[in-house]
Amino acid sequence: MFKYVLKRIGLALITTFIILSLTFILIKLLPFEKPGGQQNTRIAVYDREVYLGYMTFSKTPRPELGDPVDQFDLGNGQRRYYYKVPVMKQYVKWLKNIITRWDWGRSTKVEPNVDAVVIIGERLPYSIKINIISVLFSVPIGILLGIWAALKKNKLTDHIISTVVMICISIPSFVLITFLILIFGYKLHWIPTFWPNPTNPISDKILAYILPVFCLSFGSICGYCRFTRAELCDVIESDYLLLARTKGLTKKQAILRHALRNAMVPIVPSILAEFIGILGGSMILEGLYRIPGIGSLFIESLSSKDYNILFVDMAIFTTISLIAGVILDISYGFIDPRIRMGAKK
Amino acid sequence: MRNLFKRFMVVLGIACAVVAVASCKNCSPSKTTTGPYIELEDYKDYVKYELESLVAKVTPQLSDATVKDNVNTAKEEGLADIDAASSVLAVMTSFDNAKAAVANCIPIATGLQSYTNESVDEKTKILGILEQYGVDLGLTGISLFENGGYVMYNDRITLGTENYITNYGFGTLPEGSINADLAFETNANWKRYYHTYDSTDPGTANYLNANDSRVGDFYGYFAASYYTNFMNDTKDGYTWTPELAKTQLSAYVDGAWTEPGEYSGQAAKWRFEVRTGKDGLKYNTLSTLRQKYNNRDVALEDYLTPFKLLLDATNGFFRGSEFANSTTGAIKGAKEYYTTVKGGKAADFSTVGVKAYEEAGKEYFEFEYTQPYSAYYARYYISSSLYMPIPQEFLDEVGVENYIGFNADKTQTPVDNVLSLGAYTLERWDSGQQVVYKKNPNYVFASTKYQIEGVHINILTAANTDPEAGFKEFLDGHIDSASIPQSKLAEYSSDPRTRITTGDSVFKLNVNALDQETWEKFFGVNGTVTTTDKDNYWQVEPILSNTYFVKGLSFAIDRFQYASARGFVPSINYFSSAYMSDPEEGVAYNTTTPHKDAIKGLLPSGTDDYGYSLELAREYFRIALTELEAQGIYTPGTKEKPRVIELECAWFIPAYQEQFHNALENYWETAFNDESVSHGNYQLDIKFYAGATAEECYDKMQQGQFDIAFGAISGDPMNPLSFMQMLSSDVVLSAGFTLNWAVDTNDVDSALLVYDGKRWSYDGLYNAANSFAVLDDNSTSSSPFDYDFSYQANADNSGEGVVTVTLALKDITTFTVSDVVIFHNFVKNGAAAYEEETIMEHAQVEVKDGVVTITIDCPADLGAKYADGLGFDIYYTIKVGEYDSTSIFSVYVE
Repeated sequence: MFKYVLKRIGLALITTFIILSLTFILIKLLPFEKPGGQQNTRIAVYDREVYLGYMTFSKTPRPELGDPVDQFDLGNGQRRYYYKVPVMKQYVKWLKNIITRWDWGRSTKVEPNVDAVVIIGERLPYSIKINIISVLFSVPIGILLGIWAALKKNKLTDHIISTVVMICISIPSFVLITFLILIFGYKLHWIPTFWPNPTNPISDKILAYILPVFCLSFGSICGYCRFTRAELCDVIESDYLLLARTKGLTKKQAILRHALRNAMVPIVPSILAEFIGILGGSMILEGLYRIPGIGSLFIESLSSKDYNILFVDMAIFTTISLIAGVILDISYGFIDPRIRMGAKK
Repeated sequence: MRNLFKRFMVVLGIACAVVAVASCKNCSPSKTTTGPYIELEDYKDYVKYELESLVAKVTPQLSDATVKDNVNTAKEEGLADIDAASSVLAVMTSFDNAKAAVANCIPIATGLQSYTNESVDEKTKILGILEQYGVDLGLTGISLFENGGYVMYNDRITLGTENYITNYGFGTLPEGSINADLAFETNANWKRYYHTYDSTDPGTANYLNANDSRVGDFYGYFAASYYTNFMNDTKDGYTWTPELAKTQLSAYVDGAWTEPGEYSGQAAKWRFEVRTGKDGLKYNTLSTLRQKYNNRDVALEDYLTPFKLLLDATNGFFRGSEFANSTTGAIKGAKEYYTTVKGGKAADFSTVGVKAYEEAGKEYFEFEYTQPYSAYYARYYISSSLYMPIPQEFLDEVGVENYIGFNADKTQTPVDNVLSLGAYTLERWDSGQQVVYKKNPNYVFASTKYQIEGVHINILTAANTDPEAGFKEFLDGHIDSASIPQSKLAEYSSDPRTRITTGDSVFKLNVNALDQETWEKFFGVNGTVTTTDKDNYWQVEPILSNTYFVKGLSFAIDRFQYASARGFVPSINYFSSAYMSDPEEGVAYNTTTPHKDAIKGLLPSGTDDYGYSLELAREYFRIALTELEAQGIYTPGTKEKPRVIELECAWFIPAYQEQFHNALENYWETAFNDESVSHGNYQLDIKFYAGATAEECYDKMQQGQFDIAFGAISGDPMNPLSFMQMLSSDVVLSAGFTLNWAVDTNDVDSALLVYDGKRWSYDGLYNAANSFAVLDDNSTSSSPFDYDFSYQANADNSGEGVVTVTLALKDITTFTVSDVVIFHNFVKNGAAAYEEETIMEHAQVEVKDGVVTITIDCPADLGAKYADGLGFDIYYTIKVGEYDSTSIFSVYVE
């Protein structure tokens, strides 16, 4: 088991490395967006890129560097040719800084000059907090609804729950939050229309959790509900549960002691998978509600081409996903003793 | 009965004949009516009017009676020829001959020319003449609207003025006040702060190192400049007031300083007295970390710190590079200092044209431009808040990289890393959430201006995706002002809280009016503007070269309806209302007679105030088609199978199709495709195009890969004359920012451009008006010197380079070499690298008969070191007549 865990962690690290490397290279290969403005302004933009190490310039054309990103004729034979620094060169430098100095670089646009890791460290708790609360909120409700629907299988209650779940599961969280902000924020004034400032009273801050948590939980509740219903229905119809009833257990006893426990085997790991899903889904939602989390940061850094932030953010998402995957795999063994991955025969 | 039958048969016969004739007429489409689409006599009238207008336009510029007479004679002969012409083509030829004859009567401007010292009125006249050239040739594009609009203010705000002042605003912060608390605000201290929003937190307020104007907005609250603007007493304009300065400018003329504010001419060197601690000027900060700097006196040397900071290329400050490379308002020696530091060499800051010193008990700041300016422009260019004093000690403590920003581990915020001299001081900065400023009690005008206690900026990220987010926040009482989005205009445009603003840019449809030959000259494989592979040649649409057609497109747009429906201010003008021909007196260029004369052709009788007339548009389309058919450029189609003229209209983003394009397409196609224009022989088909970003659209225009494209460029609103560079087809002159193309603007024959009794090329007159022009015999504007270079390398890596500089006007030109630098560009680790050092001690300069010969003996060691990508920079000062400039030119060893 220990060897298996080590192997899984090792594989996760390699996967992280590959994902980050590919992200770096692919993003850096994107076509360069030329700046606007007057010539001296454009030169200043390029000079800034040169300063940051993303570009170099030459007074003469250097065909061996490929096509220049831009060129200027300043008159009097004064020419400037700006070239992108080769992506692999940037990559090697970036990797070296991480490995030798744990230096992930500094932000260039989002929060200029601040260490990317510091920015992530500041914003991560917001995302984690909201996502954990969402999971805590959605798991019991989703499972309870699923149990209720399973117990009332093919009855009116089941049909209502299943139909509502089908409709609700189709609405993305960011669509939902837009409507809810409009109704509960702008129309009814019950909750803040955006994430409160640090100087706002505590009541505002508590109220501010309601919408994002609800919207993030919405899909999850539906997911858990469907999953629990399906699993429980299978178990309820199984032979061993029939045996349990024939042995004299009440329906409640049979479901609580046998059916529910067995149905939980695939449900518990799915909670982790759902957590990862929520984390991804919160990106747009965070931007809409101005939550200073890593989701909105990802979009912000992507649109402003703040690569260092983007890569750290990407690393966080990748790491969380992979750690969750490893835990997921391991958790099977703990939940169901019959599963012993990596064990010798 | 028989009679009755006969009568019946006759009536039947007539009826059949009528039906037959009618049906024959209706069912004979193959019988096409072709051009001309306008009667010859009517066409002649238009052409004669054109000729008369042309002569009427140039006559006021002619002072010589003989020239005037000759011009009139040429005109009369031309009119007679046109009258006698028997075909459209003959009329066109007669008109061209008449234009040439008129032009030949007027002498060409040559040699050294300059109008830089002319009065404001005279320069406005030149501006009008240059604008008219652009309008006549379609180089000014088709203007649509100004980017002003409707803004709503909270009831608790009392604005400085109810009427928007162009380039100033409503004076909300400097002259306005707040008379009630904002209920939404939970912090008791901020309830009377002005609440606004921004969609993005720039993360820094260091405008010295930012390309984003948003950073400038955040910087502006706490920054101060030498001179600032306040509203005038009549609340209809603004005045310039010394802020960090104590006095008006003195000019250095004929070896002496003039009295402050007295000199009305032009000068390159100026000075003024500054406020320092002696006058009670103190820094302010709310940072607990930097309390020792709070109320610290401003020292005289602090005035130089921002210049040192900007021009130290190793800091990599964005505005430093921009400042060093600027041509307008350039400080003498700044570029050279910046370039030297960038090259890794030690540089002497005393060579930069800014100085702070004490003289006779008074403290002065002195500055010198690379060219002379009037007092107004001298003050205008130096009054940037970028030059706000900074104590060097503070900068050293904070660190250049942390200035007005967060430090790397965020233990310091921008509140800690800046000292305020402006109206407000940074109070709080919560990343991505809020930025707060508090009134600065140390501000020079703290007791009389800026009575609003503070400013609270909420970061509203939803505004990035929801264009109505800000307005919703306003309606909810969270912020004090917001623009009204298009969808809410009908509901709120008449609200008592609504105000109308004017804009700083006119959005236009830019036109590619080149013929294929000229297109190739500019953009072909050997293009002068940019080069294009033959496979990617743009096929120009000939109808766009026809000025009648382009004017027809302009007449076809109902700008009032179009702009109003989108919340903008309609405009037929090239410049927005913000551009001032006389900024000192607050005269907007668009209100002047030269401008009104220039756009007369866009507002003929029959059009509305914004140049709309559907009938006139159709008439001009008829003329255009008639001419193009007569020239054999177009062959008509038929009503069933019309000749389709397809024009691509490029926009910034796909969403603009619904927002802007469809309505325009409808205007143009409705006008052109009307039966009355070409009897259905032609069909105009406007195609929509949008790239992923606005840049793609601008790229298309700058590379000539377009028919019509949307765009706007903003220039310096205080100097519209300098902005006319944007119409030049010379990529160096326009800094690559020409969007409309029609002719070679350095060709005197491209159109009749007359000023001061002389005929000019556009580039020639532009240069003469803005600085000076060196013109050849064809009025082609050229460099004051030409140069040639040869290099003979020896086997031991030494070599001899000879630079031969030939002066265009040798009798009035002096050329001095101040430095020769050897450089090379090479490739290191797959990237371009650069090295340079002076080689002046190995250079000899000889001047003989208008030719300057610079001989460079490159020693073997340097020759070896710089072998790959070798070149030389020649630093020089040239004086042509009374105009001198310092610059660099480069030569390369091929």
